[in-house]
Amino acid sequence: MMRHLARRLVWAVFIVWATTSLAFVVNNVLPSNPARMIAGPQARPQDVAKIRQQLGLDRPLIVQYGAFMKRLVHFAGASAPKEEHATCGTLGFLHVDFGRSYQKRQPVIKVIGERLPRTAGLALAALLIQVIVGTGLGAFAASRKGKLADHAAVTTSVLGISAPTFVTGLALQWLLAHRLAILPLDGFGQDAHEHLVCVILPALTLGIYGAAYYTRLVRDEMIGVMGQDHVRTARAKGVSRAGVWLKHGLRNALMPLVTMVGLDLGALLGGAIVTETLFRWPGIGALGVSAMLDRDGPMIMAIVIVSSTAIVLSNVFVDVAYALLDPRVRRAR
Amino acid sequence: MRWIPRIELALIVACAGCAERIADPIPAAHPDDTSPKHGGTVHFASFGDIRGLDPATPSDALSAGMIAHIYSGVVDFDAAGKPIPDIAERWDISPDGLLYTFELRKGVIFHDGDEVVADDVKRSLERALHKDTPNPFSSFFESIEGYGDYSKGKTESLDSIKVLGRYTFSVRLAKRDAMFLSVFALPPSHPICKSGGNRYDDAFEPCGAGPFKVPPHGWDHGRSLTLQRHDRFFKPGQPYLDEIVWSFAMSPLTQRYQLEAGKLDGNRELSLVDALRFARDDRWKPFGSYEAENQIGAINMNIEVPPFDNVEVRRAVAAAIDREHVRLLKTPNLRALGRILPMSVTGEDESFPAQKHDLAAAREHMRRAGLPDGWPKPIPYLVARQGLDEQTAQLFQQQLEPIGLHLEIRLVNWPTYITLQHRRREVAISPGAWQQDFPDAADFFEPLFTTSAINDEDTNNTAFYSNKTLDELLSNARGEMDTKKRASMYREADAIICSDAPWAPVYAYRYFVVHQPYVRGYVPHIVWNEDMRTTWLDRAGSALEKHAGVLGSVFGGHP
Repeated sequence: MMRHLARRLVWAVFIVWATTSLAFVVNNVLPSNPARMIAGPQARPQDVAKIRQQLGLDRPLIVQYGAFMKRLVHFAGASAPKEEHATCGTLGFLHVDFGRSYQKRQPVIKVIGERLPRTAGLALAALLIQVIVGTGLGAFAASRKGKLADHAAVTTSVLGISAPTFVTGLALQWLLAHRLAILPLDGFGQDAHEHLVCVILPALTLGIYGAAYYTRLVRDEMIGVMGQDHVRTARAKGVSRAGVWLKHGLRNALMPLVTMVGLDLGALLGGAIVTETLFRWPGIGALGVSAMLDRDGPMIMAIVIVSSTAIVLSNVFVDVAYALLDPRVRRAR
Repeated sequence: MRWIPRIELALIVACAGCAERIADPIPAAHPDDTSPKHGGTVHFASFGDIRGLDPATPSDALSAGMIAHIYSGVVDFDAAGKPIPDIAERWDISPDGLLYTFELRKGVIFHDGDEVVADDVKRSLERALHKDTPNPFSSFFESIEGYGDYSKGKTESLDSIKVLGRYTFSVRLAKRDAMFLSVFALPPSHPICKSGGNRYDDAFEPCGAGPFKVPPHGWDHGRSLTLQRHDRFFKPGQPYLDEIVWSFAMSPLTQRYQLEAGKLDGNRELSLVDALRFARDDRWKPFGSYEAENQIGAINMNIEVPPFDNVEVRRAVAAAIDREHVRLLKTPNLRALGRILPMSVTGEDESFPAQKHDLAAAREHMRRAGLPDGWPKPIPYLVARQGLDEQTAQLFQQQLEPIGLHLEIRLVNWPTYITLQHRRREVAISPGAWQQDFPDAADFFEPLFTTSAINDEDTNNTAFYSNKTLDELLSNARGEMDTKKRASMYREADAIICSDAPWAPVYAYRYFVVHQPYVRGYVPHIVWNEDMRTTWLDRAGSALEKHAGVLGSVFGGHP
């Protein structure tokens, strides 16, 4: 098990490095001019050239790549000059340095450090809604297979899956925040209470889509599992209806959900671009959009690294969870 | 099952449509009392974000407006855009027009309590123009003697700026520059506190001598900016507001909802539909106003790329465009314009030379170009994925078809567009746009049409237009201190551009701003966005509850 985990982690590091390098090349090969984006569309050529030089963007691409990778993860002692490491995040002697944002003029690691917990909070809230609503509704629909409640649950889930998040988000915003005024239109708030209130609408927007998908998944899995021999045996042994459904049915039907939750968590940690932008949730997603539009190289690279790390680690998590939950998988490894 | 999302969409649209009556404006508490009152917080918002609040590095229009609240300049612009003394009490210009001597007011206090003196102006300007400062406006100051060497790091100070006394300093120019005072009113010359030092630093904490100061943690990056009244501001009694709060990254729709709920006090970024509705609503009409038309939109034709290397083809394009038709795309914001200079510079002067829509003349120009049947191949029209340009591209495509020019619209993202368009021989035809930095004709003509503005990369002369007569005329106009003579020169320049048609100007753009009736004394400024330096509030205490909604208190206050 440990050897398998170690192999997966090494593979994860390679994937993150490859993604980062590819992003670096793509970001620099595309026709764009970060210095122009800083200076503005009307700046004069001499001023743009000066800014390009200040940022080191006049150096060959390979030199820029080398400098970036050299700084990305490095070691430095406590006596290292502070100004040379002003943009680093430190863990003892280990330094992580994404550089300084061209646009925000702040160390990227500081900005990411502020934004990532917000995105994580939103991701967890959305995931909570997805899992609770999706599992509950899916199990309920399976228990009423072919009946009106089942059809209603399936239709609702199709609606939820079909509606793009910006439509769902706008509709929720219009109804709950504008017309009924029971929730804030957008924002993040200033304290824990306000954060909790503000997260409801974006989490619902993301959660409705995921819950709809999970409903279908759990329902179909449950129906499949409930027809299997071990369930019939449990019934024959006189296990109660609830016991059969929960212990023998739902528990087994949730295996695919573990995969989905893991992958969704990784994707959500990379930032929910539309939802964060719509609700002015100051997370990684909204930051990524502005970084792309501004060709803010250091910020783009940091977001790519964070997102790809989240996705790769969530894959590792799914692998481990599978092995822990299913003895057959554990034995196979 | 594909019909289901359509039904859902239709329901949402229908529900939204039937409920969309704009809320009543919240009345002023004392509408007949015009004497300004002190106190209160005004809230505005923007879809955009600001990059910085250092006057040495202003690179977006949004932050420039906020900078005007935090820093007072030696010179400012009046309502018509004319340079006026601000921290300066007066200035003298030597007879040869090369030496400007400024006398500062006494008792102008920075936010940190220090007095503004002549040394601070020199230090701040040297900091802004230093070679290591990412200042996009740096070269605007090139007429200052010694600027070239200083900005390249060859000299340690700008010796042409001399401190003559505690409150007196002079600036020597290398050549006469009628635009110098306007340039001197731009943020890079605004004095900053001594704590800002003499070299640019990303960690700079905003500190100036403007009517508002940034309190600790007042700038929540990416989310909001709060400014507080500077109690020792040098203009007696001003400012009237206690606080200004700008929220960033707020969608136009949310801004409208917030305005209606009384949680935003004004809105400058209404969608097209909402702008029309507010502008036509009798309840809101008195509280809406238009900013100066200080931006122009045009068709940019690269004269180095066929078929636009032929002046007759360019003239044909200029004549084929129906500007009135284009205006209808966004009536609250656009005005048809056939010349380079918008109304913010010329005023309502209809006698300026202008290109006119005349399809028969356009066909005649194509015949003279030797292309009576048009250009045989499709011509790529590069455009950024951005609302208005994308829409006008389709109209231009239709309007140029009758003269045999087949535009092939190529949509790219903004960074790609701006890179390619500013690169030599890369783009044949594309939208042209310019927003004034300040209302002066030179600010339009020089970057857009002079030979010296041409560069292989990052050029602003995206038509790569070169005309020695025009260069000489513009150079003379820049040094002409007689306002009338200078205006006449720019009229001549406009005629040359209209005739040679490197650009076919199409429209002037203006913003529509609406505010609640209790926001008093708000007048859009010709240069600074959302200028609230002399705004005051007259809001009744109970009005907000009325607009908060029945269930508004369920979860407490708005963030």
